[in-house]
Amino acid sequence: MMSTAGSDLGHLVPEMVLLAAAVASMFVHLFVKKRGRRGAGYVALAGIAAAGLALVLTPPSTDALFGGHLAVDSFALFFKAAVLAAGALAIVLAFRFFDVEKSEPGEVYYLMLLSIVGMTAAVSATDMVTTYVTFELFAIPSYVLAGIFKKERRSAEAGIKYFFLGTLSSAVMLLGMALVFGLTGSTGYAEAGPALAGANGLAALVAMSLFFVGLFFKAAFVPFHMWAPDVYEGAPTPLVIFLSTAPKAAAIAVLVRAMTVVFGGYAMEWGTLLQAVALATMFWGNLAALTQKSLKRMLAYSSIAQAGYLAIGLAVWGEPARMAVLFYVVVYVVMNAAAFGLILLVDREGRFDESVDSLRGLVRRAPIAAASILVVLLALVGIPPTAGFMGKYFLFTAAVEKGMVLLAVAGALNSAISLFYYFRIGRAMFLEELAPPPEGGRRPAENVSGTVTAVLAVCAALLLFLGLLPSLLASRAAAALLGL
Amino acid sequence: MNILGIPILTFVTFFPVAGMVVILFLPGSRGKAIKIVANIVTGLEFGATLLLLIRFDAGSGDMQLVERLPWIKAIGAQYLLGVDGISLLLVLLTSLLTFIATLSSWQAVQRRLKEYYVFLLLLETGMIGVFLALDLLLFYVFWEVVLVPMYFLIGIWGGERRLYAAIKFFLYTLFGSVAMLVGILVLRSQHQTFDWMAMVAAGSVIPAVLQGWVFLAFFLGFAIKVPMFPFHTWLPDAHVEAPTAGSVILAGVLLKMGAYGFLRFSMPLLPAAARRYAPAMVVLALVAIVYGALVSLMQKDMKKLIAYSSVSHMGFVMLGLFVLTPMAAKGAVLQMINHGVSTGALFLIVGVLYERRHTRLITEFGGLSSRMPVYAAVFLIMTMSSIGLPGLNGFIGEFMILMGTFPVSWLWTAVAATGIVLGAGYMLWLYQRVMFGKIVNPANESLKDLTVREFATFLPLIVLAFWIGIFPKPFLAIIDKPVEKIIRIVNPAHFEAPR
Repeated sequence: MMSTAGSDLGHLVPEMVLLAAAVASMFVHLFVKKRGRRGAGYVALAGIAAAGLALVLTPPSTDALFGGHLAVDSFALFFKAAVLAAGALAIVLAFRFFDVEKSEPGEVYYLMLLSIVGMTAAVSATDMVTTYVTFELFAIPSYVLAGIFKKERRSAEAGIKYFFLGTLSSAVMLLGMALVFGLTGSTGYAEAGPALAGANGLAALVAMSLFFVGLFFKAAFVPFHMWAPDVYEGAPTPLVIFLSTAPKAAAIAVLVRAMTVVFGGYAMEWGTLLQAVALATMFWGNLAALTQKSLKRMLAYSSIAQAGYLAIGLAVWGEPARMAVLFYVVVYVVMNAAAFGLILLVDREGRFDESVDSLRGLVRRAPIAAASILVVLLALVGIPPTAGFMGKYFLFTAAVEKGMVLLAVAGALNSAISLFYYFRIGRAMFLEELAPPPEGGRRPAENVSGTVTAVLAVCAALLLFLGLLPSLLASRAAAALLGL
Repeated sequence: MNILGIPILTFVTFFPVAGMVVILFLPGSRGKAIKIVANIVTGLEFGATLLLLIRFDAGSGDMQLVERLPWIKAIGAQYLLGVDGISLLLVLLTSLLTFIATLSSWQAVQRRLKEYYVFLLLLETGMIGVFLALDLLLFYVFWEVVLVPMYFLIGIWGGERRLYAAIKFFLYTLFGSVAMLVGILVLRSQHQTFDWMAMVAAGSVIPAVLQGWVFLAFFLGFAIKVPMFPFHTWLPDAHVEAPTAGSVILAGVLLKMGAYGFLRFSMPLLPAAARRYAPAMVVLALVAIVYGALVSLMQKDMKKLIAYSSVSHMGFVMLGLFVLTPMAAKGAVLQMINHGVSTGALFLIVGVLYERRHTRLITEFGGLSSRMPVYAAVFLIMTMSSIGLPGLNGFIGEFMILMGTFPVSWLWTAVAATGIVLGAGYMLWLYQRVMFGKIVNPANESLKDLTVREFATFLPLIVLAFWIGIFPKPFLAIIDKPVEKIIRIVNPAHFEAPR
C-alpha cells in the first residue's frame, strides 16, 4: 500500500528528532561560550533520549514508505533501538573520557548524532540507492570521529585508515548494487529480489558478493577486518565504543534484510560463503586476541571474534537462527560497550592506562565495578547465567538443528579459547594485588569513575537479567522478524 | 513440601545464594559476623537437605518432589527440578561437606573473608543445582555456575602457583563443558525437549552412530570433571594449590559431578553408545586405578598424594558404573559418597597440619602420634576408610564394585584389586612416615592436638564412615531403585539371562 509522502514522515519522527538535536547540538557548541562543548553533549544525549521515546511511540508499519525506499517495520524499529542504545552508552562514557583528557572536541556529539541518523535510516532502507546514501551518511561522520584527535598520531592514522578502506568498500558495494540494477532493472529490494532469483546465476552471485563486501567491512568480518584493530586501538575509547557497536548492528540489519528480500534465492550460495566467513572470523579474532598485550587491541580482536558468532547465525539462516542473530546483536552491543568502557574506569594522574595492569586488585578498591566487569566477561565468553551464553546458545542450537554441527562445535571451541584472554582481565581484578609503588616513588593518584561504574553495573544487570529470562528479548526479536 | 512457602528443592538450591546476598551487604571489616552468617547458612542448608528425607519415598525409582515451571518458551527449556535416590545422597553429601568446609575455614582463611564466603555459597548453589536439575539446559547452567567460584577459590586463596592452577582448572573444565553443550544441543534436536524424564520415557530414538558422537561430547565434559585418565592432569595442580576447603569441595563434590553426569545422562539417554563404549571406559577406569595408585606412591607432598589417590578412587567409581551391572553401579554410587567422606576428611587432615606448620611435605613430619593422639586416631580411621578396611565405608563400596565386576570379567576384577593393594600401600606408608617413628624435626615438638572446633568438623565424617561401613542398608535402600532403573535401560540383557 502506497501512501503520500507527507503522512510517511510520521514514521520518521525519531530520525527528525535526532537531526534537530544534531543541529541544536552544533549551535550550542558554536555559540555557547561557557561549557558549550559539554552543553552540546547534553543536547545530544537529550536528543537520543527523545528519539528513543519517539521510537517507542512509533508503531511498526508494514507499508512501503516514500515510494518503497524506506520501511519502518518492527525489524527496523528493533535495530533502531539497538543503535540508539549504543549511541547513548558512547556519549555517557565520552563525558568521562573528555573530563580526564581535559580536551573536549564538541563536534563529536553532533557528528555522532548524524551518524546515528544514518544508521537508523539504513536499517529502514528498502532500496539500493537509499541503502547507499544512508550508509554514507553514517560512514562519513564515523571517519571523522575515528580521527577526531587530529594532532595525535594514532587517532589521525585511525581516521585516515578507516576513511580509505571504508570508501573503498563502499565503492565495491556500489558496484554490486549497480550490477543488481543491471540484472533486474530495479533498485527497490521488493522488485529486485524476485527478478534476481530468475536472473543469470553467476552474474547475480558476483553482484551479491560485491554488495556483501561493503557490509562485511562494516561488520568487520574476516577477511574484511584489517582496519578494525588499528582503528579501535587508535581512536578515542568512547568513539570506539560507538564505532564497534552501532555500525555493526546497522550492517547486520541491512545484511539480514537484503538476504531475506533481495538475495533470498541464493541462500545456498551465501550459506556456504558465510560459513567460511564465520569460521575465519571466530578463529582469527580469538587467536589474534590471545597474542595481544594492549588491552584495547585485545578487545578490538574480541569484538571481531564476537561478530564471528553472529556470522554463524547468518550462515545457518532459518527462523531460529535469525532470531538468534537479532538477540545476539543486542547482547553484543551491551557486552562490547561495557568491555571497552572498562578501559575508562580507572585513570592514573589523568591518564588512561590501556593495559590490564591498571585493573590489578580492582576488587579491593571498587568491588561493584569489578563484579560488573566479571559478569560482562562471563557474557563475552558465553558462560551462564548471562545473556552472552543465551545468545550463543540460540546461535549454536540453530546450527545444530540445521545439521551444521561443525559450526556449533567451532563456536563452542572458540568460546573456550576466548576464556583465556578474557580472564586475563578477571585474573588481574580478582587474583592479583595492586602493584607496589616504584622504588622510592609514590603510588600514582588513582581515580575510579562513578559514572563508568554505574554504566558497567547497568550493563551487567541487563546481561544477567536477559541471561535468566531470555524470553523477554527473544520474543521481541522473533516479533521483529515477522515484520520483515 | 514447602519451606517458608518455597518448594523445597528450589529452597535448598537457592538458600545459599540468599545467604550470599546477606553477606554481600555486610561490611567487609566485620569478619566475625561474616563467618557466623556463613556457618549458619551452610548449617541450615544441611538441615534443609535433611528435611528432604522426610518426604522422600525410597521405594520408588522415579523422580520425586518434581518442580516444573516454564522458563524459556522459545526453545522449550523449563525450570525443572527433581530428586531421586542418587541425587538425594549427593545433595546430602554436598550440603554436609560445604558445611564442614565452611567450619574448617574459620581459622584457615584470614584474608578477603567476604569474597571467600560469597564464592563458597555461590558454589554450593551451583553444586546442588547440578544434582537436582532435570532440564538439560538448566543442568548446564548450574554446571557452569560451579566453575567461576571454584576458579576464584583456587586463584585467590590458593598456594604458590595458584594463578596457573586456577586457569588450568577453568580452561580444562570449560573445554569439556562446551563439548557437552554441543552434545546437549544434539540431544535436544533429536528429542525436541530438554526434559530428562521425557527423554528417558521416549526411549532410544536416536540412531546408534549419532549416540556415539553425543556420548563422546558428554564424555569430554564428564571425563574431565571426574577426572578420568588421561584428562586428570588438572587435578593435582588444582588440589595442591587450592585452600583446604576448596580441596574438600573439589574432591568431595565436584568430581562426583562428572560421575553423576555419566550415570544420569550418558547412560540412560545414550544406552546403545554406553553399551558400545563400556569396555573402553572400563579400560580407562582400570588405567586410572592403577596409574593413580602408582603415582600416589611416589608423592612427596601429602596433598598431591591424596589428589592422585582420588584419580585412583574415581577410577573405581567409573569401573563400577561401566561394567553395567546393578551391583557394581550401586557400589559405584556408594563409593562416590565414600570418597567424598574419606577424601574430604583426608584433605582436612592435611589442612590441619598445614595450618600449624605451613608445609605439606611428608619428610617434614614424623612421630606426630605422640604429640597429637586424637589427630592420630582420626587420621588412622580415615586412612583405613580410604583403604577399604572392612567395618568402614570404603570396604562396602569397593567390595560391591568388585563383586559386580567379577561375573563380567575376572581379569578386570583382578586389575582393580591390584589398585586396592597399592592403595593400602601408599596410605599406610604415608601414615607411617607422618605419624610413627621418632620426632626428628624439632618444629614438630610443640604441635597442638585437634581443637574442639577441628574435631567437630571431623565428627560427622567419622560417624558416616562407621555407619556406612557397619550398616549400609539405609544408604543402599535409597539408591537401589533408581540405579537399577538406569541399568535396566542401559543393559537390559543383564536382567534377562540368569548367569
